Amino acid sequence: MGSGNDSILDMYLYETNTLLEQLDGILLAAEQADTFSQDSVNEIFRIMHTIKGSSAMMEFPSLMTVAHRIEDLFFIIREKGIDVVPETLRPELFDMLFQAVDFFRGEIEKVENGQPLSDSIDSIVDKINSLIDKIQGGGAPAAAEKPASGGGEAPESAAPAAADPSYPFGIQVFFDEGSGMENLRAFMLLNGVKDYCADYLSVPENVENDPTTSEIIADQGFFVWFHTAQERDSAIPAVHAAGSVSSFQSVDAKAEEAPAQPAAAAEAPAAGAPAPAPAPAPAGGAPAPAPTPAPAAKQPAAAKESLISVSLTKLDQLMAVVSEIVITESMVTASPDLKGLRLDNFNKSARELRKLTDDLQDVSMSLRMVPVSSTFQKMNRIVRDMSKKLNKRAKLTLIGENTEVDKTIVDGISDPIMHIVRNSMDHGLEETEAERIAAGKDPVGEIILSARHTGSEVIIEIKDDGKGADCQAVLNKAIRQGLADPDQEYSQKEILNFLMMPGFSTNTEVTEFSGRGVGMDVVKKNVGEVGGTVTITSEWGKGMTTTLKIPLTMAIMDGMEVSVGGSIFTIPINNIRSSVKVSDAEVIHDPARGEMVKFLDSFYPIIRAKDVFQMEQGCDNIEEGILMWVEAGERSYCLFVDELMGEQQIVVKPMPAYVNSFNIKNYGITGCSILGDGSISIILDIANLYNAAQDAF
Amino acid sequence: MSEENVLFAKQSDTPPAEEIPAESQSDKYLICVSDSLLYGIDAEQVVEIITDHTITYLPRVPHYVRGIINLRGQLIPIIDMRLRLGKMPEDEHCIMVVNVENNVVGLLVDGVERMADIPRDSILPMPTQNPQKLISGMCSLPEGATMLVLDCSLLLHG
Repeated sequence: MGSGNDSILDMYLYETNTLLEQLDGILLAAEQADTFSQDSVNEIFRIMHTIKGSSAMMEFPSLMTVAHRIEDLFFIIREKGIDVVPETLRPELFDMLFQAVDFFRGEIEKVENGQPLSDSIDSIVDKINSLIDKIQGGGAPAAAEKPASGGGEAPESAAPAAADPSYPFGIQVFFDEGSGMENLRAFMLLNGVKDYCADYLSVPENVENDPTTSEIIADQGFFVWFHTAQERDSAIPAVHAAGSVSSFQSVDAKAEEAPAQPAAAAEAPAAGAPAPAPAPAPAGGAPAPAPTPAPAAKQPAAAKESLISVSLTKLDQLMAVVSEIVITESMVTASPDLKGLRLDNFNKSARELRKLTDDLQDVSMSLRMVPVSSTFQKMNRIVRDMSKKLNKRAKLTLIGENTEVDKTIVDGISDPIMHIVRNSMDHGLEETEAERIAAGKDPVGEIILSARHTGSEVIIEIKDDGKGADCQAVLNKAIRQGLADPDQEYSQKEILNFLMMPGFSTNTEVTEFSGRGVGMDVVKKNVGEVGGTVTITSEWGKGMTTTLKIPLTMAIMDGMEVSVGGSIFTIPINNIRSSVKVSDAEVIHDPARGEMVKFLDSFYPIIRAKDVFQMEQGCDNIEEGILMWVEAGERSYCLFVDELMGEQQIVVKPMPAYVNSFNIKNYGITGCSILGDGSISIILDIANLYNAAQDAF
Repeated sequence: MSEENVLFAKQSDTPPAEEIPAESQSDKYLICVSDSLLYGIDAEQVVEIITDHTITYLPRVPHYVRGIINLRGQLIPIIDMRLRLGKMPEDEHCIMVVNVENNVVGLLVDGVERMADIPRDSILPMPTQNPQKLISGMCSLPEGATMLVLDCSLLLHG
């Protein structure tokens, strides 16, 4: 496959995935209302139509067939209104549609992974067909077989369309000679035409199903007939846009009295209307589209103008360059050569530059920000499916879904949120509605998914109003699993933390959705990978809240520079509670674990950076250095360093791969950053540093 | 170009047949000195030679990794050849930046001598089993000295 094909495939995958997401949203909303609005019927019709067309072009027949059948179904619903589907059939309809969406998703995934597509689409096609039959009732079961691409009222009529006097205005299209698959090209063209005008007949018909029409099209051209000349003119841009068209011309059936053969129609233009031969290309759809285009067609056109998709690597490149600019800017303005000079103009310009680079940084950062709504919307589906399967009624409330987070972070938290929502559905909510009523709650369970910004962090909360965690049961389980010490007293917070230990699951039975004991520990790990923390709070009988705290971005952050024995380290500002000078007398020694210090009625261990990093130089006297009181997740301790150097905004650079191969991440070193004077500071990971220090003792 | 030359050569038959293979079978090596031994590094892997860079100490790495430097915004780990080969460290040095399997690392050596064209068949295997297993072969230079061929990927992963 050439790169050209790859990019078409990429476009196809991107487009289809977007459509499926859209479809999912429409279906969920429609299911809630238990009916389809005219708009959503049109929208589904359009989505299926697009998927059908592009899948045909990419030669994925299974996808095309299923999309085609659903399109047929919605064609009927569109024509006759949603009332054609009796109430009793609707659940079946929704189930079928969700199933179809899953089918598409599965197939698209296979395409993405380069696996062969499944051929066994019979069951789903049968389902759609039987549904169509039921809707049609005894009336016209044969209609289920009718292809929708004809679109017109009489697709079964075998007579050439030109013979139909109500479609007197035609376009005759010739494709590039030897381009092959003329029938599919004609089909693609029809798809384009449909966006401008849905009412037409094509000759030959059945192009997408009948490859033998290729020859006819290659030989005699492909005809599309319209009601009025206006409609025809409006469709001409679509013909232009279609690929491989070598020439086309308007033909006017009125000139000939009902030509019996398309061939005869081909001669028509000679005598016919002053139709323009290959018209000037109206690229970009400049000529006004048909006065009554399908309303659905307008929407994507508008979206295209204001949005472009950019590859993430380009944004990463931009980010890298901007980071370099930020560093270089401070290298220039704080250059040691300028020390002691009085440079009023320079300083003024430098301030200006500083402001601009700040803006530049903000803008380039915002490019990578995407709302969490797509991730949140996916949860709708999970709640729906699980409430059906588990027979628990539940509603999902989304709050703050427009909160924006860095793209890499959104990708990182999608799975964790899914795990938590599943957990809430499976073990959070009460087994039966009676239990809920007995507890004085609304019989319908509620899961609230919220996102909000606080300064440099995003807080995502998943809250359910279920039965909450039974601390005693959790503790018992933890003891059975050997995670907890039976003789020790645990606080509620500590007990809830057992939920996030690897291999822990309170559910005694493994269900389809959860209970395998992988889950919360994976959640913790995934969230940790994007620099975030997970906390669980719960009240027995009232529900459970899982909170994810995630930094807005990982690329640039505020850090505190500290020095230890000539080396500079950066502690993320988020981790710092305060810095304290202590006297020797305040340090409490214990025989096993070294030193501790007491603030605000709590004891905190002291960890000496010099010892953890096995450095030769640096302060040993606790009174000469300074204690940084730091906190990461559940850990809070004091890091002893030589000197506090000041706060600085830093650009995080990953450590070179060779250095990372020595596992320094486990010693609390996550990356480094280049300071204004070109020197390097090492960024500390407060949580891992603590673990490393514990292991060392 | 080279393809045309080959075709041309076949037609005219003028240049002796041995010369072309002999040309392709010699490699360029950059010869550097560390603790008075000569080491040859495949010139293809050498990116540049730099001096006077402050090395930032990196905790918790093997002792021969002296730290990292900031080379025009790129962070490069520095391996001290003397320490890597079990010798005593010394202060005077220059850094050869090499790119090994997309890992850019700096090698701290005493000095860089020159480039040399070494015919492939003149490189002989090591007669003894080198304990560090970093040397993939050795050869005699025209002026009589001996060059040890340093295998950079072994240096990184060994």
